[in-house]
Amino acid sequence: MRRRAWMILAAAVLLTTLHASIGLAVERAEAEEAARLLAKLLESGRAVIERNQSLIDDPHKGEKGFTPELFEQQVVAEFHAKTGIDLKALPTAPLSLRIPPLAKELLPALMQASRDVIRDAQVVINQRGIGYKNFIPATYGSQASARFSKAAHVRLKQTAIQPRNPKNEPDEYEASVLKWLSARPRAEAYVSELTEEGRTLRVVMPIYYAKDCLACHGEPKGDLDISGYPKEGHREGDLAGAITVTAPLGNR
Amino acid sequence: MTTEVWFSRVWIFLACMVLSGCGLLIDAVEQVWPVAGSKVDIICERGRVQVGLAMEPFRPFVFPTIWTDEGARVTGLDVELTRAMTEELSRRCGHPVTPVLHLVRFRDLFRLLNEGHLDWFVSAVATNTPAPSRAGVAYSLPYFYGGGISGITTSATVLERVRANVREQAMHPAADRLAATSHALDGLTIAVQDETSAYYYAEANWGANRLIVCDSLPAAFEYADAQTEPRIDIILGAQPVLEYMVKRVRKDWSLLTRDSGRPLFLTKADYGVVVAEESYRLRWLVNDLLLKLDESGRLGEMRTRWLDEEYAFPRRASLEGLPFDVEKMASHYIQGTCRIRPGS
Repeated sequence: MRRRAWMILAAAVLLTTLHASIGLAVERAEAEEAARLLAKLLESGRAVIERNQSLIDDPHKGEKGFTPELFEQQVVAEFHAKTGIDLKALPTAPLSLRIPPLAKELLPALMQASRDVIRDAQVVINQRGIGYKNFIPATYGSQASARFSKAAHVRLKQTAIQPRNPKNEPDEYEASVLKWLSARPRAEAYVSELTEEGRTLRVVMPIYYAKDCLACHGEPKGDLDISGYPKEGHREGDLAGAITVTAPLGNR
Repeated sequence: MTTEVWFSRVWIFLACMVLSGCGLLIDAVEQVWPVAGSKVDIICERGRVQVGLAMEPFRPFVFPTIWTDEGARVTGLDVELTRAMTEELSRRCGHPVTPVLHLVRFRDLFRLLNEGHLDWFVSAVATNTPAPSRAGVAYSLPYFYGGGISGITTSATVLERVRANVREQAMHPAADRLAATSHALDGLTIAVQDETSAYYYAEANWGANRLIVCDSLPAAFEYADAQTEPRIDIILGAQPVLEYMVKRVRKDWSLLTRDSGRPLFLTKADYGVVVAEESYRLRWLVNDLLLKLDESGRLGEMRTRWLDEEYAFPRRASLEGLPFDVEKMASHYIQGTCRIRPGS
């Protein structure tokens, strides 16, 4: 009888431990997927800005029609193409897509932050007679990330080894990952790690230079680009930086 | 104080009120016994100063608004001046004072100031423009010396014609200097921005010109680029602004110069901060702030930074630009158009 009791107790302890580990693993997997999707959404927003760059910089047009609604429409399509997820139908998304609840909470928040950025930028975008307005993927991304991070418990950031904006300076962890990534060929993969003794999840998604970026970041190195920064002399496919997500685990 | 004395003072006061020029007396009284709740006290109390800036760019004084990592920003010499003045104001108030920038149409700045929506405004405003619409405002000490009105053209023929007009006028010793310069543009089609000093100059020195009135300098360039008839021979405007434009932005235009190569000024002007006429204490304070900035060499440095140095304004906007009140800005900047002044 006593032995049986001991066995039940041992089984209970084992189950509890196992449950805790499984719970932690599930939480991590969910947070990681949510972080990946957040980074993809910011990347989608950047891509939409890049695609509309000539419209935004058109000096002959006043009202550009690049409204928060149009932006959202294009981002939804871009994000769908990248992930297969329809942001407009998040609550009713099929289980097969395995969208974690955290992502369902955070993706609309990032979309809202992005819409707010586009709304506030209308005064700049709709200026006529002025070409370059510095409303580019990077400056959109900085603002959208900052606004999202202010409201959410998850921190979203754009960073690079030598960022133009000092606020995008990488922390120690980001710097080490960026250094590691820069030594490797371009890949779609992202880096995910637990830090602070498993209390924080860090996800780093690399961004690579596309052809359009090289007008400001390409050759000749040292020449000033249109915004007054010295060009870095990069080539297409070089590591431009990363979108990083920092999510606390277990203490929400 | 006896009742008799009190009544006599009341009578004197009432008599002053009905006499013209009593504003001077009130001014003097305010200097001796500052009225509680004056503009300066209000600014210190609320911790914010409402500053107006023209939304039409007057580079390098006010650049077009631009997006940065921190959001929409505006930059330029006048913005740096605003920042410096506010820093000094914060010291005076004993706590931080934040500038709240209102980017509005140049012509609306005067109205908003008179209506009390602004504490002051800056936008390369000449302190010596005689025009009825400038009534009710007062100017600080100049923060920028040696501005004035000049013109730019794309045509060598026009330039030569202006020089010939000047030469011809100079041959008549009886002609005064105003006539000598104002007739320099005779027979030409001139574009000016509405309600700027250049507009009032053109209006006052009406010669045998055709006048095209534009809503902004970019609108004048657009009109000229489109080769709309009648074609613009000369764009008239603030000389430092035009010089900046032809050196860095519109290199296809050149400044009007004399035979000697020196810039042709139609009139000279210094630029000042504009405050409401009755804000006497504020004006003293602004003058004092500017004097301090001048004596410390900061005004000189600003001039060099914005007029002589090589720079790209988006970078300066990112590093040191100021945010502005989007709610108080027009929904979007309409560059506007140009139209021929009736009767010209």
